[in-house]
This record gives sequence, structure tokens and C-alpha cells, in this order.
Amino acid sequence: MQVPSSKRLRFVLLAPLVLSMVVGCSSKTENKPPPKESTTPKGESASADQQAPPKGPVVLGNMLDPFTPPPLKELLANHKWVDRPVVDSMQRMREHQAKLPPPKLSAKEALALRNDSPEKNEKILDTLGRLAPKDGKGVDFDAEITLLASGDLKSTNPLLFSSVVEADYGGLAGFGLFGFDRTFDKFASADTVVSWQTSEDRLVDKVVIRDDLTWSDGTPITAHDIAFTFRAIMTEQVIVPAVRQGTDKIRWIEAYDDQTVVFFHKESLATNDGNMNFSILPKHIYEKSIPKDPTLARSAEHTKYEDAPVVGGPYVLTKRARGQEFVLERREEYYMHEGKQVRDKPYFKTVRYKVIEDRNTALLALKSGDLDSLILIAEQWNGQTGGDDFYRHNTKASGLEWTSFHFCWNLRTPYFSDKRVRQAMSYAVDYDELLNTILYGVYQPNRGTFHPTSRMFPKNGPKPYQQDLDRAEELLDEAGWEDSDGDGIRDKMIDGRRMPFEFTLMVVNYEDRIKVATLMKECLDSIGIVCHVKPTEFTVLTERQRNHKFQAAFAGWGSGADPDTTSNIFATDAGRNYGGYSNPRVDELFDQARHEFDEEKRYALYGEIHKQMWKDQPYTWLFYRNSFYGFNKRLRGYNFSPRGPFHYGPGFSSFYMPVAAP
Amino acid sequence: MAAFSVSSVTPWLFFFPFEKTTKMPDPKNNTPDEDDQATIGFWGEAWQRFRKRRLAMLALGFVVFMCSIAMFAPMIVGTKPIVCKYKGSIYFPCLGYYNRSWENPIFRKDRFRNKYPKNLDKKDPESWAIFPLVYQDPYRRVRDGEWQDRPGNPSGTNGVPSRLNWFGTNQQGYDVFAQMVHGTQIALSVGFVSMGIAGVVGLTIGALAGYLGGWVDVLLSRFIELVMCIPSLVLILALVAMLDNVTNFHLMAIVGCTSWTGIARLARAEFMKLKQMEFITAARALGASRWRIMFRHVLRNALAPVLVPITFGIAAAILIESGLSYLGFGASPPNPSWGTLLKSGRATIQQTWWLIVFPGTAIFLTVLAYNLIGEGLQEATDPRLRQDKH
Repeated sequence: MQVPSSKRLRFVLLAPLVLSMVVGCSSKTENKPPPKESTTPKGESASADQQAPPKGPVVLGNMLDPFTPPPLKELLANHKWVDRPVVDSMQRMREHQAKLPPPKLSAKEALALRNDSPEKNEKILDTLGRLAPKDGKGVDFDAEITLLASGDLKSTNPLLFSSVVEADYGGLAGFGLFGFDRTFDKFASADTVVSWQTSEDRLVDKVVIRDDLTWSDGTPITAHDIAFTFRAIMTEQVIVPAVRQGTDKIRWIEAYDDQTVVFFHKESLATNDGNMNFSILPKHIYEKSIPKDPTLARSAEHTKYEDAPVVGGPYVLTKRARGQEFVLERREEYYMHEGKQVRDKPYFKTVRYKVIEDRNTALLALKSGDLDSLILIAEQWNGQTGGDDFYRHNTKASGLEWTSFHFCWNLRTPYFSDKRVRQAMSYAVDYDELLNTILYGVYQPNRGTFHPTSRMFPKNGPKPYQQDLDRAEELLDEAGWEDSDGDGIRDKMIDGRRMPFEFTLMVVNYEDRIKVATLMKECLDSIGIVCHVKPTEFTVLTERQRNHKFQAAFAGWGSGADPDTTSNIFATDAGRNYGGYSNPRVDELFDQARHEFDEEKRYALYGEIHKQMWKDQPYTWLFYRNSFYGFNKRLRGYNFSPRGPFHYGPGFSSFYMPVAAP
Repeated sequence: MAAFSVSSVTPWLFFFPFEKTTKMPDPKNNTPDEDDQATIGFWGEAWQRFRKRRLAMLALGFVVFMCSIAMFAPMIVGTKPIVCKYKGSIYFPCLGYYNRSWENPIFRKDRFRNKYPKNLDKKDPESWAIFPLVYQDPYRRVRDGEWQDRPGNPSGTNGVPSRLNWFGTNQQGYDVFAQMVHGTQIALSVGFVSMGIAGVVGLTIGALAGYLGGWVDVLLSRFIELVMCIPSLVLILALVAMLDNVTNFHLMAIVGCTSWTGIARLARAEFMKLKQMEFITAARALGASRWRIMFRHVLRNALAPVLVPITFGIAAAILIESGLSYLGFGASPPNPSWGTLLKSGRATIQQTWWLIVFPGTAIFLTVLAYNLIGEGLQEATDPRLRQDKH
């Protein structure tokens, strides 16, 4: 039922404010503005670092090469078609849970537990994670849920989404065709799609959408909306911060009738499924207005729709107080069509997002019952959520998450161009202190870019690094970084100048992040390297990284739904390859994997990439962050995916509150 | 009690002609007055009056005490020996806390990795060392068994004050006492250096404007007004954003360069008044040069009222530094400032009271001390506020 709407909810630079609170998704794109930025006044273009749109007449789809789609009959006859899955993600989850033994504890017993061990965590999730019965019996359909928005909702237009807050909004209000479950298995959503077929050569996808879909203004949703949205995205003058990445691999989208839409791909890629997943705009609203105002935000008409958007998802925006909160209400016409219920009724009547940027304030709000769910950082999980004040209204649960943190070394600087130096850096980290003292022993040691529980992780994958300062010093000596002038700082002659090993490690100005960076400073200090810790705004950090104007940075990536998203980070000159890593072998493997349709072989190729990168250490991989959430005792139906409890199918749609909640 | 406000210093202007030190304008006239033997001079008199104020003296004592703590911080708390004999030579590794390069590189070469006690024994059994009073470090957590069999510092919210960690530890396990002692250096130096800069700039500009008058005065007065309009906080934030490695000296420089305007205005008014006085006319008649009159005769008499805002300014500068560190805009971490400690206590305020109480008290007492000194100084030098009879 959940319709992941923002184009692809994928890799994310873990923003302090955004991503550590709401586990991250944002789309990947080369010119993507950072997920978190200062709020932009209404009526201005969505992001300050965007460039002015190119001048010239606005012709929808002017970035596309001319293409004449064949008539439908011809198309159907010329290809061999393979049926693809159309899935109700909630149903799939329900079937999965039906196979499990009944929960050992009653809800009351589970809520009385204090989550201080993995066993108790499992018990809590086993009981409280169960879905509501299919007929919705016992669900309080008038309930309201209050969630945290870690920043302001900057735009309600799916084309302008760039941060997690907008992705969260899009997940509720947006309309899309595809989704994925918690194992990242992709499918077309049964809520919107009747059938999905792919040609055997993987160059064409044919989707038939349902005929009982309506926009919130009553107009039916048709295949033409999809074709129109694609053309709008592929219009040069339209400033699209995030969603264009991926859609540019599509050659053409043609609506043959109101229900049938066909995607023509440029290449036969394993990533094509993901490329088709973007949020849809209502054609009847934007068809005429976009040529007048390609910024989507300046004209009076667009401003009007910004605050009262016409949406196709289960919820519609009813209130938007900037910097404070925004409220969505359930759309009756989403699940009712011509007097008949055609889809599951969304469980909550009202979804309220409160904007709270400070983590401590947010925790206090959760404790007092003002928030119903909140992501917790290790320190909060461990130190501040164990007492009666927390358990009065809440319980907490954790799950594995494929979110990985690292030091990114800029290979374009003289310090880190040498592989041995980067390895020395990895040997220098005091992992024991990092994991057990600073991170409270609740995160896993890192073993590379793909999570050890993912299918991409190679067999006999690398073991985590252990601190070995002797080895680090040897490697540095080998690389020519020795203290030749006796000032206690290693140095090296570069271009005839003696250069001391003194660099700046940038970090987002979050207390827990700064602690990690400070530990690195301490470790490096003991082997004669000076490291300055520079806490900075997330926006600045991203900007500096994107322009390669940094020496080292502490950052993290969330997991994409497809391993190919990693190529955007490690392939030569890729959009998010901030460190400037380049290895032809890795590039080649990424390309091979993109064209490989045999799943096993494809994952093996990613395993190869994983191993190669572990040798090169473009990053010093530090730890995987788990999901830690506090939930109000009234909440039920939460389950964890490698992207947290919200960002998969069914995700949020499975949350509910029982009628007689304690 | 007099108000702390700087504006209350204006009434000083009358008494300068009476004070004795001004009576020695010409160095050639070396024969002292008969009176000089008997009188102790303006500053002596002020000191006598100051000494009678018990609170002010207590405050002064406190500041002197803090200064000595600041100066000898690495010898009080640290993990580097004050003095040690290693492989036949004497070293002073604790100097490394003042300046990295003052710690002899031999210890880095020999891979001590900042952990002295066991490495000294291991690498040279003949060695000996005198360690600081408390073996703790403001920049890192002391680990298990670093010092004989002592356990490592507790971390998280477990760092309750104990025998080993007098003031507790922060979430990272850094010793709070060590951070506070080393933080004294920051607090005091921020006050002194920034107000030193402000005093020099303010006095010079005020003196020039007040004494020279005319278009110089007009120009400099406009300049003073211009600088008054610059919000120092914004300037600091801009600087912090620009620099990769922010040190406390950057903060001091900015605070100093923006907070001299009050001093300059006061000095200007003083100079304007004093240059009309008879003793100045006398000095001029004796042929003293303009600079000599300005800095030898006028300045001495203008100094007292200016000292008061400087004292209050020191307190303000300490507050600014703590505030900036608290907000996370201070010097680059790890920066053992009192404000940083408060900041780390903020997140876990319900559990870690020691992260709030100790640095909070230190900030409070130090700022109070400077204010008391300022007030004492004001009353000791201002005839209108004198409580003792003449």
C-alpha cells in the first residue's frame, strides 16, 4: 500500500538533522542539493545552489531525443513478454507473518518489557510487529499519529523533493507504480497496477494501471499523467534537484490509452526497474503551468498548489505551518471508488509531522507523549531511554540497518593519494574505543561498503580492521611520510617542498559525530599526524565534498534498494564520488553487473567490487549503524528493514493503533 | 554597591589635577617635592582603598589563584611527565601541552604514543619520571591499566565523580577535572588577551581622537561608531565558518578587535578634559613634546577610569568564549573549555549533573570575581564613590 514516491529512495549522505533521525533516503543525482538545507522562503526557487534555468522556450521533454513509439499492436507482437510481479506489500508481509509461530507474549506483556537485551528486543518486535487483521478489526481508524520531521518540508511538489522529510511526505501523499519489500525485492504495487510485463530483451516495460484511481480533486489518474511527468522531468528548464537521475536512462514513455503505459529503455540494464520508479504529477494541473513557470515554485498558480497540492496517494496535506508542523489527512476517495472499497483503508485518520531539529527536545517530546515515534541515537538508546520516564508512554526496538559510516579520504590531495597511507589510516583507528566507548557497543564493526547480511557481501568477505599502530607507522614510513625535521610531525617532500602531514577532518556538527572525529585525532596524534577536527553544517560539508574541496570527512551512506546505486559513489568521476576514487577494474565490474541479469552472478560481481575496494580503502569504513526507535505504547505493526521501519513496503502503512490501547 | 555599568565612570574627571603623580612632568626636575615623601601617590592610595574592600580582595585572590592554576595546568593534571630521565637525558614532556613541538620528538620516534608510564619502564628500565599531581588527560580518555593497574575512565553517563575522577568524566570518558584545569588557561587567556588588544587599540584611538581633536577627532569618532555597529558574534561565526582550524587566539583577536569602542570613547573624553588642565599647559610651556604629554602625562591620569571597563570586559570575554563553545562555535575540538563541558552536559542533563555544576560554578565564580574587582577598582579610584572619609 505504501507507494514509495520520490524517484528512487536511495543512497543518502547521512545528514545530521535529516538522516540520523529519519533513516535516510533521498535520490541520487549528480547535482542533487543536500538533503538538509536552510528553509527557502516561499515563492523562491527551491534551492539556493541551483543554477538559473537555461533560457529559451519551454518545450516539455526537450531533453529527449526524438522517438516514435510503434503502435501498440506491433509492439505486442514484436516482443516476447515476461510477466513481472504485482504485489500487495501488506499482503506479502501478512503471508510472511502467518508462517511464524504465534507470538509468545501478549501485547501487555511485551509492553511491560524493558528492552535491554537482544532477546527482549526480539520478543517485543515479535509481538508488537504483528500486522492488524486483514479486515481491520480492532484498528482505531480515527487515530492520529504524530511523527518527527527533522527539518521543514520544503516542497510538496514531487519533482522538487530532495530531503528525507519530503520523501516521508511523498510516501504518504505521492502516487507511484513500483515498490520494494524489506528484502529489496522489487515489484509493481497492486494498489495502483493491474499488470506489469517486461520484454525478454529488457528494453521495454508495459504497465497497465488500475482504472479506479483518482487525484484528490476528483480527476481520474491515467497513464497520460505518467507520460507527462516523465516529459516534465526531462525538460531542460525545469529544475529537478533529485529525480532526474535514473529517468535519463529511459528513452521514452508512451501512454497508449488511459490505462496502458509503456517504458522504452535506452539500454538493457539490470537497474531499469528502479529507473521507472518516480512520483507522478497530475497532468491536468501542470500541463499548462509548467511552460509558464518551469521553476515550479514562482508563479501564483504553483504557489497555490504548493500549499494545497493535488495528490494521488492515501493522504492529502491539510495544514502546513512552516517550521512548525504539517498535517496530512486520509483521503476517503483513495480507498473508496464509486461507493465501493477498492483498496485497504489507511489506518490513521491524521498524520501529523512536528518539526523538531534538536535531538534532545525530540526525545523529551517522545517521553511526554507528544511524538509517537522517534529514531534514537546510540547515546539516547543506551543512556536516556532506560528509565520510568521513558517507559511510561513508550517502548523501544532496534533492527539491523545497512547504514554505514566511514572516513572519506580525498584521493586528490597529496596525503591520501597513496593506498598505503589510507591503509595506515584504517590501521590507526582505535576500533575498540570507537565501538564500545563512543558508540556504546550497540553498532557493528564495518566490513566494507556492502553489509555482511546483504547478498552483495562476498563469501569469506574481509574481516574488520583492528588497530595496529606499528603497522600504520610502517606503512606511513614506506609511503615516505617520516618525521625528517624532528618536530614530531611526519612530513614528506612534495614538489620540492616539505609538507607536514597536517590535515582537516570535516564532520557534521553533531556531538556524537564530533566524538568519532576527535578519537581519530587522538589516534593520529600518537603516530605523528596532526588532524584538525572541523565541525560544520551539513550543507557546507556536502558542498565542500561535492567540489572536492576537503581533505577528509566523516560521513555515512544509507542503503539503496539496488546495489548499483553504489556505482554513483565509487565509479570514476561519478556524481557522489567525493573522494575521487578511481579504479578501472571497479568501473568495469560495475558495468558488468549492470548488464548481468542472473541474480547470483550479479551479486558475485558486487562481491568482487567489495573486495577490490576493501584492498584500496578509499574510505576507512568504521561501523554500521543499527536502527533504534522509540515507539509509543499505542503503536503496533512496526517491522524493521535494512532501511529502517518506514522506508520499504509496507513500512509505515502497516503501523496502526488498536482501539483499546493501553 | 555601585552599578556595574560603564557609564558610571564619567564623574572621575574632576579629581585628577589633585593627585600627586601628575606632579612630575619634567624629568629634569629631579628634586622631589617634600610632599612626595609623605604621599603615596594616586595608585598607592587606590590600592590602599582597594585593600579595604574584602570582597574585592577575595576576588583578586581568586583570580591570582586561577592564574597560577592556568600557568601550571600541565603540572597539575596531565599524562605526560613533568620531568623525566630517559636514555641518559633529562626531558620535560609536559611542555607538549603548551606547544606540541616542545615535547621532545624522541618520544614519538620511540613510539611512546602519548602513553608514558609503562613505555618509560619498558624502553629504558633506568629511567625515572615525575608525573603531574593527577594522572588524567584533557584530550583523551585514560584507558585500562595505563597507570599501573588503574581502571580506565568510565564513559557514557557512568562517570560519576570518584577518587580517580574528582569531577567525574564526560560521555567520552575524558576527565572533567583535567579539562577544567586546562580550560582555565583558555578562560583566563581569552579575557586577558582580548582585553589587552581592546585596551591598546581603544586607548590609542581614544587618545589620538581626544588629544588631537579637530578633523582627526571627527574621523576617529566616526570610525569608533562604525566599529560599534559590527556585531562581534556575527564576525566570529563568519570566521569560524571560514577557518579550518579555529583556535582560541582567533576568538581572542575578534573579541579584542570589536570590543575596544567603549574604552576608546572613555579615553577620548578623558583626554579632552585633561588636555585643558593646568598641568598640561605647564608641561607644554616646559617644552614637552606632544607625544610625551599624551602618553606620559595625560595617559597616566586617564588610565584609572579605563581600567574599570577593561576588568568588566574580561568577564564579558570569558562569557563570550564559554557561550561560543557551548553553542559549538568555539575553538576546534577537542577544546577543553568550560563552555564545551557545559555543552556535553546539556544532552544528558538529567544524569550527568557534574558536567553542569563544576564548569558552571567555575564560570560563575570567575566572572563574579572580575566583576567584583572591577567594582572595587571603580570605588577605589572614584572619589565620589569613596566611602572612607577624606
